[in-house]
Amino acid sequence: MTGFLENLSIGYQAVFQTYNLLFCFVGVLIGTLIGVLPGIGPVGTISLLLPITYGISPVSAIIMLSGIYYGAQYGGSTTSILVNIPGEATSVVTCLDGYQMARQGRAGPALGIAAFGSFIAGTIGTIILMFVAEPLSKVAIKFGPPEYFSLIVLAMILLAYLTSGSKTKGIIMAVFGVCLSQIGIDIITGRVRFTFGIINFEDGLGLVPLVMGLFGVGEVLVNLEELGTVEILKGKIKGLLPNLKDWMDSIGAIIRGTFLGFFLGVLPGGGAIISTFMSYALEKKISKHPEKFGTGVIEGVAGPESANNAATSGAFIPLFTLGLPSNAITALLLGALMIHGLQPGPFLINKHPDIFWGTIMSMYIGNVFLLILNLPLIGLWVKLLQVPYKILFPFLLLFSVIGSYSVDNRTFDVLVMLIFGIFGYLFRKYGYESAPLVLAFVLGPMFENALRQSLLISMGSGLIFITRPISAGFLITAVLLLLSPIFFKIRLTFIKNK
Amino acid sequence: MFLGICLCIGSIRLSLGGFSNPGPGFLPFLAGGLLGILGFALIWSNYLRGLKKDEEVTKILPKDNRKKLIIPFLTLLILFVYVLLIELLGFLFSTFIFLFFLFKLTQPQKWVIPLILSIMTVILSHLVFSVWLRCQFPKGIFRF
Repeated sequence: MTGFLENLSIGYQAVFQTYNLLFCFVGVLIGTLIGVLPGIGPVGTISLLLPITYGISPVSAIIMLSGIYYGAQYGGSTTSILVNIPGEATSVVTCLDGYQMARQGRAGPALGIAAFGSFIAGTIGTIILMFVAEPLSKVAIKFGPPEYFSLIVLAMILLAYLTSGSKTKGIIMAVFGVCLSQIGIDIITGRVRFTFGIINFEDGLGLVPLVMGLFGVGEVLVNLEELGTVEILKGKIKGLLPNLKDWMDSIGAIIRGTFLGFFLGVLPGGGAIISTFMSYALEKKISKHPEKFGTGVIEGVAGPESANNAATSGAFIPLFTLGLPSNAITALLLGALMIHGLQPGPFLINKHPDIFWGTIMSMYIGNVFLLILNLPLIGLWVKLLQVPYKILFPFLLLFSVIGSYSVDNRTFDVLVMLIFGIFGYLFRKYGYESAPLVLAFVLGPMFENALRQSLLISMGSGLIFITRPISAGFLITAVLLLLSPIFFKIRLTFIKNK
Repeated sequence: MFLGICLCIGSIRLSLGGFSNPGPGFLPFLAGGLLGILGFALIWSNYLRGLKKDEEVTKILPKDNRKKLIIPFLTLLILFVYVLLIELLGFLFSTFIFLFFLFKLTQPQKWVIPLILSIMTVILSHLVFSVWLRCQFPKGIFRF
């Protein structure tokens, strides 16, 4: 207990430095901003700001980047409720009832419950993270190369499996990500791989140009095809504080959404997105009036909005305990930690308690900032929604260019970004999700090391992956997941024949 | 599938090593092989569904939609020219040209707004990135 209190005090000391408070505020402010604006996601923004964090301390950098991550979940609901366009993929479900509430003149309570629900979920999620992460990191210390290898296999398959659309395409993207991570010098033998004689490739492909191209430029190009005007509901937004009936209707949904979101967030893959859909389905199923869902029911806003915020807290568990990212955003946070010379993994919490506890404490403060930003200042965000995309997109492209260039001061990286921008655009058009690629790209070197070290330890025997219980457990889960579509098909055929 | 085959060939050249001592080409070979198999599986499943490549392209890019591609294509072109010019003309001047053309692309009938927006953005980005954050940008032949 004393140790726990000591850690809390370390966290408070870190976060209450004026400098870190400022970065926490900047992070959640940018997060809300990009959450509100459709067409700019947290992945692109974090990769854009990654080079800027070089000059600041690692604690400040992680506090700010995390703030963008959970801040975007708050902002995403505003656009869903007022415009019927989700600001973020995690706010798609909010459109269903949120927009209907706004059309009935109840935009205020919808925005209010989304913000309060997000606040409650964010805070509870942070408390769970605080209590769970440290004991889990002690378990993670027992992980050797075979366990890491199997866990990464599971993480990549889960992410590919949970992405929307074709599972085969998801796995192809993950494998392609691993292939891209192989470019550069092999750290064991020192041999140069797949550089095609280009010296700039010897250090490997840069994460920032790759992500900025796929998510930043790619997204802009797709949005440029539809340069329509956004229609916002007219009229002043009144009554942001939900009334007692609203609270009575929503509180259960908020609590259920929080726990569901947190535990799904821990899973590698699109935890936050899936949790919103599952929360909505759960609320509809247990509701006394399921037929009213989709017509402006407040539980349909409260549940999913709480779930997506809690999921962001859950996503920090594998990052801080195992050093494994569970989605593209935490992959970038992992990259940020590594850029600052920190080795993410089970030892991070003990070696750098200021990073972990500082981030945890910043989440409490950040959630309070977000409540203030999203309730009294809602009018400001609504005004921002009126900025036409044709004015916005040149800025986005300029930031992408500056972000890619300033990593190593090389025009070459901008060119790489441009090429991946084209890839990102094509991937979207042809239904290939970029998230598994980014995750696999970040995990690639770790994956290769774990595989080669495991084989060296076992003198070339692949049995090492199935004779160790934890590793076997991960691999069996992965195989079952891969085979699950076949089971479903067999079951369907069986039911049909019956 | 083609990429997978190329990767496998490249990996063999790098040396695969053995299971007890995997070489630098070991994982790329496995990944390339898997990519090839998955690519083949995807083509095969599309073939079975009767969705041949040509039909797919037409489905995604119907003729009416091809007009929509003009702005993304021109944007890419401007971005590419910008990348080529940035070292030669320097950050400030090339960024001004880049922004001006991008703003003009979506507001072809206007001149003043794109001009003012580009100048203001260049000044602001110089102050934020070069002066405040001390990013080092190319100065080009004009030395600014």
